[in-house]
Amino acid sequence: MSDSTFNVAVFGATSSIASETMRAIAGEHTAHFRLFGRNADRLGAVASDLDARGASSEIREVDLLSSDVDWSAQLEGKNWDVIYIAHGSLPDQEVTLNDSKKLELEMAINFVSPVQIASACASVLERQKRGTLAIIGSVAGDRGRQSNFLYGAAKSGLETFADGLRHRLFHLPDVKVTFLKPGMTDTPMTAGMEKGALFSSAAKVGRDAWTAIKRGRSTAYLPGWWWMVMTIIRLVPAPVFYRTKL
Amino acid sequence: MSSQRNIYSWGRLSPSPCEVIAPAWQDECQLPGEKTILPFGLGRSYGDSCLLTEGTIIDTSHLNRIISFDEETGLLRADAGISLDAIMNFSVPRGWFLPTTPGTRQVTLGGAIANDVHGKNHHRAGCMGNHVPRFELLRSDGQRHLCEAGSPLHSATIGGLGLTGLMTWIDIQMVRIPSAFIDVEEIKFNGLDEFLQISSESGETWEHTVAWIDCLAPKCRGIFIRGNWAKYGDLVPHQAAGAAVPIDFPEIALNKLALKAFNTLYYHRLFQKQSRSRQHYSPFFHPLDAVQGWSRIYGKRGFFQYQCVTPTEAGTEPMEEILRIIREAGQGSFLAVLKTFGEIPSPGMLSFPRPGLTLALDFPNRGARSHELFDKLDAVVRDCDGRLYPAKDARMSREDFVSSNPRLEDFIPHIDPNFSSDFWKRMTAA
Repeated sequence: MSDSTFNVAVFGATSSIASETMRAIAGEHTAHFRLFGRNADRLGAVASDLDARGASSEIREVDLLSSDVDWSAQLEGKNWDVIYIAHGSLPDQEVTLNDSKKLELEMAINFVSPVQIASACASVLERQKRGTLAIIGSVAGDRGRQSNFLYGAAKSGLETFADGLRHRLFHLPDVKVTFLKPGMTDTPMTAGMEKGALFSSAAKVGRDAWTAIKRGRSTAYLPGWWWMVMTIIRLVPAPVFYRTKL
Repeated sequence: MSSQRNIYSWGRLSPSPCEVIAPAWQDECQLPGEKTILPFGLGRSYGDSCLLTEGTIIDTSHLNRIISFDEETGLLRADAGISLDAIMNFSVPRGWFLPTTPGTRQVTLGGAIANDVHGKNHHRAGCMGNHVPRFELLRSDGQRHLCEAGSPLHSATIGGLGLTGLMTWIDIQMVRIPSAFIDVEEIKFNGLDEFLQISSESGETWEHTVAWIDCLAPKCRGIFIRGNWAKYGDLVPHQAAGAAVPIDFPEIALNKLALKAFNTLYYHRLFQKQSRSRQHYSPFFHPLDAVQGWSRIYGKRGFFQYQCVTPTEAGTEPMEEILRIIREAGQGSFLAVLKTFGEIPSPGMLSFPRPGLTLALDFPNRGARSHELFDKLDAVVRDCDGRLYPAKDARMSREDFVSSNPRLEDFIPHIDPNFSSDFWKRMTAA
């Protein structure tokens, strides 16, 4: 580390889970955040919250879906401890499947853009020879379920991509790729759902993400008990599984 | 984002279907002009004051950021939906604490002000509303009002049950603490007179006072608990909540025998007359926060909480009478809490506390039997000029609400025409 500041770059910094992870980091480190997102006012609100917690932060107002941005250049000037890719969107599956423009947009948000950015981040970390790339996926990527397989497919593709990056960077012991799989989380993205017993708070999920990053985990279910739930869901034989409404 | 959902208040008496809007940013705080609306925090009000059946609820819990904090003066500005839990997590390591705290951290700052909550230090610090220099209030006409302490809209909104508009951000004056620990003294007492004697002795020298009483014992007995911030100790915040209660318990779980056993054991956990200890603020102020969703132990039918205050002028007789009625009915449960309110007036027009004795007690919902008991208690409260706490209430009568809130007429003109609640509808129904 060049100095004692803990440097974190966050793409999709207005995500609730990412905000909670940043709060956890700010609670433990003298941290500097570079916040990427498309709404400067909202990034400003996130930055004020972090600054009040003793961190410093800078805002980069940028369209994460743009293919014209040089993401490596956006990361210049710091030696990154963590680069966090947090953007995503939970689409209305039926509407999206019947609207090719929407479909393209959703795949851009949940797959194409994170892949483009992750790819650039990986080369930055490769040059640094250190640091963690953390990417938010979802438990929905573990098995296609009739209610949510479009979102699941994008997240599953992203996980495979993260696997590949981890393989490619394996020769650098101080570079980690951590794929985070939150279960159902109480965020504005899920405001429309009844909150059953399986829901966790964004604060819990965000904190657990930080724990997984600190431990250098390859993949982490958030909270950890989702590993159990998803193992069962993956193991249910297809003829039985297809009779459920999951 | 908006959707249809069932919402429960903390008493879980019945589901309330409504539309939910969840703004997560200041720029998303827009009020739908044509709808009837009510702000909602973390749903810890027990009865129907946080519900608006068939209306539009504004879930503020995602509006939870700190805007600024002055480490010199302790003035905190935050979004209205930030929880007291999150504030303490932030402030305790810096040596600051909320000026007062209710028995749970799981309420929003906005909710704490809309109900003008009080805590164990009421006799020294007054209510939450005594420590709020200003906030912004968004009205359904789109106007944003900066409400400074002393202004009528400020006084109407404090304890105003969310009816005057949506608080967007709030300034709150924090207080310095030397450590995260409390030096606690617990004293067994027998009878209300002994309670009062200990309470009046403690007021000067103890910042936090409260008593737990056993409502099922033949004579009113209990444990008086008093505490001061410990001068030395680490500034460690609380841990996240532990296990959750995932399902409604079967009703049989809370039978009279079990409750009697619990209360007897709790009383006798103190072997001596008096004991001293040092506790972290979390078990001291928020013992139930250790179990998420504890209200589900009362079963499918939910429960009521009855909290009243009897004024100082009335002496101890009304409270003796209330305790006698509860004892005879044999319906009370654990966690009956008794406290002496102090003299500090709140700016809130509808604020609940007034100088006197306050009792709070849970009752499992037993239908008509519960209501008969409450009617008897109401009569005593009415006769001594006491009042009931709307944040806890699901059943008080309109007449009692009107007659026990002398500033109601001042309050009514400040209600936002598009705001309402199930509680308010109940209180204004012809």
